[in-house]
Parts: sequence; structure tokens; C-alpha cells
Amino acid sequence: MEYGNTAIIFMVVAVVACVLGLTFVGVYCLNKVVDQNTREGGSVRQP
Amino acid sequence: MHLIPQSASHFHLLVSIFPSIGLIFVLGFYVTGFATDDAATKRSCLVLFVVLGLLAIPTYVSGDRSMAALSQDPKISQDLMSIHFGWGVTSLALLVLTGATALIELWRSRRAERLSNDALHLVLGLALVTLALMVITGEVGWEINHHELRLDPAAQRTPQAWSHVHIILNHFPTVGFVFALVFYIAALVMNNVVMKRASLVVFVVCAILGVPTYVTGAASMWALTGVAGISRAAINAHRDMALWTLFGLAFTGVTAWIELWRFRHLGRFSNRSLYLILAFAIITLGVMAETGHRGGQINHPEIHVATDPLPTDPKAGVSPAIESLINHVIWFVPWQTVHFFGFSLIFGTALAVSLRVLGFWKSMPFSAVHRILPLGVFGVVMNVFSGMLILLADSSRYLNATTFAPKTALITIGAIAVLYFSLSERLWTVKAGEDAPMSAKWVAALVLLSWAGVIIGGRLIPYV
Repeated sequence: MEYGNTAIIFMVVAVVACVLGLTFVGVYCLNKVVDQNTREGGSVRQP
Repeated sequence: MHLIPQSASHFHLLVSIFPSIGLIFVLGFYVTGFATDDAATKRSCLVLFVVLGLLAIPTYVSGDRSMAALSQDPKISQDLMSIHFGWGVTSLALLVLTGATALIELWRSRRAERLSNDALHLVLGLALVTLALMVITGEVGWEINHHELRLDPAAQRTPQAWSHVHIILNHFPTVGFVFALVFYIAALVMNNVVMKRASLVVFVVCAILGVPTYVTGAASMWALTGVAGISRAAINAHRDMALWTLFGLAFTGVTAWIELWRFRHLGRFSNRSLYLILAFAIITLGVMAETGHRGGQINHPEIHVATDPLPTDPKAGVSPAIESLINHVIWFVPWQTVHFFGFSLIFGTALAVSLRVLGFWKSMPFSAVHRILPLGVFGVVMNVFSGMLILLADSSRYLNATTFAPKTALITIGAIAVLYFSLSERLWTVKAGEDAPMSAKWVAALVLLSWAGVIIGGRLIPYV
């Protein structure tokens, strides 16, 4: 089956957006946990 | 699943990998006990040495009966079996001695209420000698039944080294997970931080080793294609389960790494995360056990039983379907693009963290750059997934490329080395304006060179 350029470009953008979006959410959540802990003064491991 | 052994040969295949590969993991935990001077870790390892010593008995008995059963098989070299038996008996005797020494020290320390350093070092020395002998025993044992090691290398469709490495490497994630799980459950029960961290590290290392295991497995498939007595349908059934194993290892490895990273910043573990990792690890071990069983069926006709028929359709399964799908440009190009984004994240993160360790940007404490590490780890996950899809598109071509083997090795080295950044106590305490320790600088250089090598190796695949 042949695919047009528009379909290929759409798939590239869609897949990359999904993967990078998930990465952003993951990094955001992890950093939020550390930030929250620092604000609450619980960062006992911070040198 | 048909995991209950129906014959001595089958039982020997299962039990014999624990004293050899298991010893490597127990030694790893034991060295951690020395490095952290944690008495609970040392005691737990002594118990594991005793268990390994006890495993020598079923290993010997099943091996002896297996030899008797295979002595009439014309395809099995009797000379190789005799050599394997000789080395096996010697290494198992030393393993029993190691276990007995560990048991005596455990019993003695209950009265003295402290462990003797001399006895602990004696156990370490005996275990190391046993391991050296186990390596020889294992190598000769693997050669008994693996057709691909006896084929003419010139006639094979992939380099023979790939198949050889797969035969050895595939046992590491499986056995490693068993020992890590035992150690992890003990750590949760004893609420011991050192043991929890050590088990999490082994989960991560096993997950990383899943990558070269999967890659070398694809090469073994090509080595065995067209060999008489080897079923392509059985190979496909094995690699379908290997695919699910790769996902299981990724889930367990990434959650374990995140917990190690969070522990650095928070100074405590999240119980919810720890039990989530436990659940992932148990499920992954179950999938891995079935993968191992299906892998064993490829090359070991002696373990076949009538109640466990081999698959017959060579086109059935998920892997052939993905192979067909990923060859369409509309699926290949998006995942190739993700692969390049993944490398950008990995190298960018490795560069920033490594340069700080090497002495750049001293105004920042190490803990500040440590926070960006998840970006690189998510990049690794992206690339393992997209790389697996790209490999399936044309595995024979990739596996025969000159730079693919060093690339795979460097991925493993680079990923394991990054663990150091989250484990080193000295590095964690490097404040703004301070220089990192020299050992950390060597690791940073190794990380940087490894990931640079991975990218260079990858880009050269189509050209050399």
C-alpha cells in the first residue's frame, strides 16, 4: 500500500508528539515531587 | 506453562544455572555489604551462599542422571559430557565448601554477636574461585547441546559470536531477577535501606542486560534458520515471549531506577512505589520463566513431552506481524524519528551531567545536575522501544553490520555506568564550587565516550 507525503508527515508528528508528551509529563511529575519536598523542608538528602 | 520438569535432563537445565549465574549476583550483593559495611546485607548473603551450596546437591544428582539418559544419544559428544562432569564435580565441591563456611560463620556469629572479617573474606575468596571453575563448567555444558556453536561459521547468516553470547547472556536477567526478588523481599521485611537499594540496582542492571539479550537472540534466530531439527515456529514462539519480557524488564527497571533517583533527593523510599516494583518484578519473572522454557525447547529435544506440543505455524505470533508492519514507511519513519529524539535526550543529559563532574559549571552543586537525569533515562526507554522496532524491520542486515556489535555493547556499558551518578555517596555531597572525586571523573568520561560511541556506531551501520 502506498502512502502520501501528508499521511507520513502526520504520522511522524503524531508519534513524536505522543512520545515527547509522555516524557514531559514524566519529568514534570518527578520534579514536582522533589520541589514539593524541598518547599516542605524535607530534603534531608540535599547536600 | 509447563515449567515442572518431566525428566532429569530438564531439571538439570533449570537448576544448574542457579549455582553459576546466581553466584555472580550473590557476590555482587556481598561486595555491596563490604562497601557499605552493612551487617544485615552480609548476613543475608551468607544465607544465600548456604542456599547455593545446597543447590549443588540437586545439580549434581540431575546432571548424573542426565548423563546416563544422554549416553546413548549419537548427537551428543560423550567426551564433552565427561569434561563437563569433571569440571562440574570440582566446582560443585567448592560451592559446597563455600556454603559450609558461610553456615559455620552464621552459626558462630550468633554466639559472638558479630561477624568475623577473616571468615567473611574466606567465604569471598572461596566464592571467587568457585565462580572461576563454574565459568569453565558452564561453557563446556553449553557446548554439549547447542547446534549453532558447532556450525561452520562461514556458512552462518550472522556472526557466531552473537549466538554464543546469547546462550550465556540470556540467563543473567532470569537468574538475576530471582536473586534480586529474594533479596528485595528480605529487604522489605527487614526494612533495610542498603538491601533495598542493592536489589533495585540489580533490577535496573537486569533490565539493561535485556537489551543485548534481545539483540543477540535475534542473531541466534538467523544462525539457526535452516538447521535440521530446529523449528522456526518454536523460535517465533520464544521471541514473542522475549518481546513481552523486554516490556516487563523496562517497566521494572525504570520504576526501580526512578525510586533510586527519588531516594537521592528525598532520603526515603515511597512504600507505594516499592510494592509497585515488587508487583512488576513478579509479573516479569513469570513472563521470563515462560520465555526461558520456550527458548529451551528450541535446542533441547530431550525436554519435549507429549503434553507440551511445540508450535507448528512459522508465521504465527506477534513478532512476524510487527516485522511485516514496520517495513511500511508510514510506521518505520515515525519510530526512526523517535529514535533520533531519544539520542538527543540521552546525549544532552549525559553531556551536561558528565561535564559538571569533570569540572565545568562548578557554581552548581552535583545535586542540581542530578535532577535532569530522568530526561536521559526516558530517552533510553524511547530508544530501546524504537530500536527494537527498527531492528525487527531488517534484523539480518543490522546484525551483520560491523558497528552494530560495539554499539550494543556500548549501550549496555553506558547505561550501567550512569547508575553510579545516583549511587555514589561522595559524588552526591559535591557542593557548589567543589571538585568531584577522581573516580567520578573516570565514570563521567566513560559515560560520555560510551554514548558518543553508540551514536557513531549507529550512524555508520548503513555505510561500513
